[in-house]
Amino acid sequence: MNTNLKISNVTKIYPGCVANDNVSLEFNSGKIYALLGENGAGKSTLVKILSGVIIPDEGKIYLNENNLNLNSPSDAKKNDIGMVFQHFNLFETLSVFENLIIDSDEQRESLREKIDLIMKKYNFPIDLDIPVLNLSAGQKQKVEIIRCLIRNPKVLIMDEPTSVLTEQETSELFLSLKKFSEEGILIIYITHKLKEVMQLCDEVAVMRRGKLVSVSEIKNENIESLANKMVGQNLKTIKKKKAKTSSDQLIKITNLNFTSEDPFETNLMDINFSVNRGECLGIAGISGNGQSELFQVLSGEIISEKKSIEFNNNYIGDLNPQERREYLMAFSPEDRLEQAAIPQMKIFENVALNNFKSSNFFNNGLINENKIKEHSKKIISDFNVNTDNIELKSQFLSGGNLQKLIIGRELITSPDLLICFNPTWGLDVGAINYIHETLIKINEQNKSIILISTDTDELLKLSDKISVIHKGKLSKIMNAEEVTSEKLGILMGGAN
Amino acid sequence: MIIDLNFVGLIIASIMASAVPLILASCGELITERSGVLNLGVEGMMIIGAISGFALMTVTGSLIVAVFGAMLAGVLISTIFAFLTQTLITNHVATGLALTIFGIGISAMIGKNFVGIPGKEFPILFESLKDTIPLISPILFGHSIVFYFAFALPFMTNYFLKKTKIGLIVRAVGDSPESASNQGINVRLVRYACILYGGAMSGLAGAYLSMIYTPQWIENMTGGRGWIALALVVFSTWNPIKILIGAMIFGGLTIIQFHMQAIGVRIPVQFLTALPYIVTIIVLVVISRDSRKIRLSTPSSLGKSFHKDN
Repeated sequence: MNTNLKISNVTKIYPGCVANDNVSLEFNSGKIYALLGENGAGKSTLVKILSGVIIPDEGKIYLNENNLNLNSPSDAKKNDIGMVFQHFNLFETLSVFENLIIDSDEQRESLREKIDLIMKKYNFPIDLDIPVLNLSAGQKQKVEIIRCLIRNPKVLIMDEPTSVLTEQETSELFLSLKKFSEEGILIIYITHKLKEVMQLCDEVAVMRRGKLVSVSEIKNENIESLANKMVGQNLKTIKKKKAKTSSDQLIKITNLNFTSEDPFETNLMDINFSVNRGECLGIAGISGNGQSELFQVLSGEIISEKKSIEFNNNYIGDLNPQERREYLMAFSPEDRLEQAAIPQMKIFENVALNNFKSSNFFNNGLINENKIKEHSKKIISDFNVNTDNIELKSQFLSGGNLQKLIIGRELITSPDLLICFNPTWGLDVGAINYIHETLIKINEQNKSIILISTDTDELLKLSDKISVIHKGKLSKIMNAEEVTSEKLGILMGGAN
Repeated sequence: MIIDLNFVGLIIASIMASAVPLILASCGELITERSGVLNLGVEGMMIIGAISGFALMTVTGSLIVAVFGAMLAGVLISTIFAFLTQTLITNHVATGLALTIFGIGISAMIGKNFVGIPGKEFPILFESLKDTIPLISPILFGHSIVFYFAFALPFMTNYFLKKTKIGLIVRAVGDSPESASNQGINVRLVRYACILYGGAMSGLAGAYLSMIYTPQWIENMTGGRGWIALALVVFSTWNPIKILIGAMIFGGLTIIQFHMQAIGVRIPVQFLTALPYIVTIIVLVVISRDSRKIRLSTPSSLGKSFHKDN
């Protein structure tokens, strides 16, 4: 049976922002639809409306000509609309089976049989009796998909499903989605990744700033045309020039180990690498394989053995981040709002947090506000942060602007080494481009970068050397030219 | 030396009796906390239960009315907490502390007229079997219905959490209210219910104190048992069976140190009085140090307000 889903004139307004501005769309089963847009374009709001999480201010939704009243997630479920959220909606401490039965009225035994059938049919081998927190991101996503499939959905919505997956897991997911589509499930695929749209989908709807910009068939589009529609302007492509090889070693890590007391952290085992001046070392890996521990060890949040880290001919393994900064290291942590900045504090106060002896931000224990403000203004103008109010609380900056501020704060002292962890995570294309250009510029000034990232394309674009971290171990260090994203994917999955 | 088995049995029974209010209040608070709500008002709810039970018994003369009235009083006072924390999204810790202070104050005020009034005898079950088997009989027989209920409660709580659908929903809400809400679970309703249940159990624990354990009203008669109940929940890592163990150790040491004081053991009284608190916590920490299990049984959202934005 054919399924027809119609969104008619949907509007949702938040204070200070129109998330969805009179959006109308129509979908038919048998095709896979992409909903494409940058962060904040309104696509997540739209799918949350379809799944009953958000109630629109205006507009109607029709499924096979029936007007749906979606006031809660259970309404969406009742109407056979299934949704896999970007941030998993799983209960980490409950078992897989408990996660699956929680919203079902069926008997445990019959449900178990049904789940077994689904897992066999789509080749999803998952142990039902272990807690969800022991699963990989790819497995967690499968649990979410099974949870939808149990209800025989007519519509399956996938919200940015590949942000946590490896290349292999992504292609597996695409195969499954194609299979679902052939079986008559209407698939709506939300993403900002253009490559995926081209690979998977039949039709694409592009959103920008809450408005629907275009609806077209994939065969009439290419990556550039979609990118331009998504951003609304022509993007320049940036490319890194091959760095001149220098043999001047800046940082050397020797036999670094870290054993965590928390069983849900990853232990680092026997880490060895070195980075030369002017070089960018990329560290790839699926999140949760020790990247965050590695970042903390390198930045000094976790202290290690003194001689395990040699920087500029000094042993600094036992120094804290503040002391390491004095040696001209700089850090940009993964979580901008939790680790890099204090969201409730003003921009200039956040700048002052990165305090050097030489910066004279404090005189005899008193804050030298003028000095800090002057410094902050320089960062804002040098690094293109889109505000002129340094008294603004950092939480009101967009992700891209906040990241520019943080990178600017770290770079304005012109450090020898910048260590960054997922610097463009969750940013829109424009901001990503700017950050990438900045990082390339650092290398051109003969400064070094350690780039820990889960974004393979980013690593291939920026790195001179690449290594892969898997379960706390680094692979051998490869020259970036010799590496393909397929090869990285295999290493990220743990194979040799 | 001949050990009088019946005497040993009586001591064990008295230990169990002193553990009853702790088990009741802890098992109630455990359900509340498993749904992600931290209610520090246990002491306040208990003392409200104690005075309500005693007052209702004196005024109406009916034990049934008194026991259920005490539970209802616990429910009512916890409704204040639920309304503040779940509807007005106030901070759990501050609200819970306020609840305790409020409970102690208001119970003292109501209790003014009931000081010095003798309590009533509470009926005990299986009295005729009390002397049949040495050691065993005094432990098993001749207790109030609340006593038997308290010792069944940890097992029922365990079964409820692990085997029933509603128990699963409670755990899910405590794990991630956001996910639960997106799954169509009414987080606020679940949390309200769990808070009120916790209030009822604390009320019952209070009533046990003032009507059965020491049948009289004394101001501040809960004497910190509410805080111990709270500690038991945390140090048992939200496991009802370990609550039972912890409550027994605490009750046991309390009784034993009384006897030691009576015999005149030359250890400072202050140390003896402090002993149950320290030992109970140490034992519970030692038996629950498997960090994997702690992670699995700790309600991840404990004490965090959940506000559904729409």
